[in-house]
Amino acid sequence: MPAHLKENDQTLWSKFLHGNEQVLSLIYLRHANALFDYGCKMTSDRDLVKDAIQDIFCTLIRNRENLSGTDNIRLYLFKAMKRKLVREIQKAHRLQHVDAESTVRFDLAFLHSFDHTEFELTERQKKELVEAIDSLTDRQKEAIYLRFTRGLDYKDISMIMNLNYQSSRALIHRAIAKLREILSVKSDIFNQSFLVLFLRNIKPVV
Amino acid sequence: MEKYKNYTPEDFLADDYFIQWLNDPTEEHEKFWKSFIEEFPEQKVNVEQAKFIVSMFQHEHEKLSLDETYDIWNGVLRSAKRPKVRKLVRMLRYAAVLLLMFASGALAFYLYENSRELHYDLTELNESGSNEAKIILSDGSEVSLEQKESAITYGSTGSQLIVNNDTINQNQLEGREYMNKVIIPYGKKSMITLSDGTKVWLNAGSQLIYPSVFLRKKREVMLIGEAYFDVAKNKEKPFVVRTSDMNVQVLGTRFDVSAYPEDDFVAAILEEGSVGLEIKGNGVIQKDQQILLVPNQKLTLNRESRETTLRVVDVSMYTSWKEGVLKSESEDLNRLIKKIERYYNVHISLKDPLVGAYKISGKLDLEKSPEEVLNIIKLTVPIDWAKKSNGDFIVMKK
Repeated sequence: MPAHLKENDQTLWSKFLHGNEQVLSLIYLRHANALFDYGCKMTSDRDLVKDAIQDIFCTLIRNRENLSGTDNIRLYLFKAMKRKLVREIQKAHRLQHVDAESTVRFDLAFLHSFDHTEFELTERQKKELVEAIDSLTDRQKEAIYLRFTRGLDYKDISMIMNLNYQSSRALIHRAIAKLREILSVKSDIFNQSFLVLFLRNIKPVV
Repeated sequence: MEKYKNYTPEDFLADDYFIQWLNDPTEEHEKFWKSFIEEFPEQKVNVEQAKFIVSMFQHEHEKLSLDETYDIWNGVLRSAKRPKVRKLVRMLRYAAVLLLMFASGALAFYLYENSRELHYDLTELNESGSNEAKIILSDGSEVSLEQKESAITYGSTGSQLIVNNDTINQNQLEGREYMNKVIIPYGKKSMITLSDGTKVWLNAGSQLIYPSVFLRKKREVMLIGEAYFDVAKNKEKPFVVRTSDMNVQVLGTRFDVSAYPEDDFVAAILEEGSVGLEIKGNGVIQKDQQILLVPNQKLTLNRESRETTLRVVDVSMYTSWKEGVLKSESEDLNRLIKKIERYYNVHISLKDPLVGAYKISGKLDLEKSPEEVLNIIKLTVPIDWAKKSNGDFIVMKK
């Protein structure tokens, strides 16, 4: 996250703690889409995710006086989101008599259209990418998502996923290696000529 | 640079300096990595594989539509204020849906799914309570609007705009719609000419979110506060103004919309042409209403009761603020005071609340100071006013 925005977050948060509730709407707008996207990786029930977001912010308003300062709102919100969603999803599973111990999945399925304008993939290549990602474990997918899609650092990731710093690094390292291995073996995506074509079209990744 | 010479793609992706280059490249990053590849060409493959892998995870996000974003926040505010009521409504909603699903699958789908085609990506906001007027462009950068009254004009592609006297260029990819936002705090005004030629006058305390160029089937903008629209005619692309409770769809007309979050009503006043109003119901409980307005009609929606009132009015009463004049005909002093507060960005409280019910008719020239305006009001109704040391005004019975 660009440095100047991170600073802004901190100022907004302390203003909120000092009684300025309007400022919370800015915090909400800044993070709502990211939270929603993260939530949608754990369940396909959009309303559940929206309700979770609503609950989190409602709780913030009602408990404002008991909150402490933080310089990392995004981490706070992501942790809250995960905690809340996991609870709600497991509750729903119990209602449906699904195995009560079931863990919450992390599904990067929604990422899979790969209709990027920067490079042209054939349908087969897209399918291979989808399968490669699917072969990762849920933990690996979540860690990669947090790092590369949401741009969180290892410290944040370890807090959200309940790992220590070294483990979160290792997790991602292993996941990427696995991905690369699968793609090198099962696909021509890392074929030299393809990469050349890819290079010509690639713009700086945003 | 040495340390990278044996890096695998996973190693690169674990390196913060490398990731920074991908996300937030500076000239220094570019130079470094360019010369690294020149010096160690055998590493090019690994660098490119790393880049590719990252790009795999940086697209296709689930997004909330503008409506959904707004709905959630409204829910937050409602439930933060009245916790018990909210749980009840939620349960009612689910119960009603369940019932309807048994009755008719298709009907339930229509009432429960409030789908909107357009997905907005809200750009960064600044404090709505701040005193700074600004435009926020597609890339998140902000342009300050110094003057009390600012003028913004867009070129037809949306990538070039003139703000007061400066020309600004926005980086835009062709074929993509980018949202811009104008924030006008209390005490200021602005006039925006959109890329299709539509003119929008934004009143004090308002915000407008709009695409810099209209590429979709409808021209859609979102309004918080009050604005007067002079919509450029385009039969193929209806113009829609969205507010929290009501959408105004037009073809080519002139009208005013008042949708301040702190008011308990939302109003639309038509000067010329014709508009169709779509008033949102409360989800499953109430259906959406559709109303057609003809010139000189004003529609008021009470946000709580959802009751609508249609009246014939003198439009100039409601749109004269554009010219810096407030016209009233038998208007409650309460309402008038509120408008004055917004225009001047001052706080005016009524010591004797009953004076708020006095009806005022006449014209107020807003080029004057708030003190002069209050003096004029004093000539019409039996009130007196005083100014506190912190700049706030109090109005009391004479």
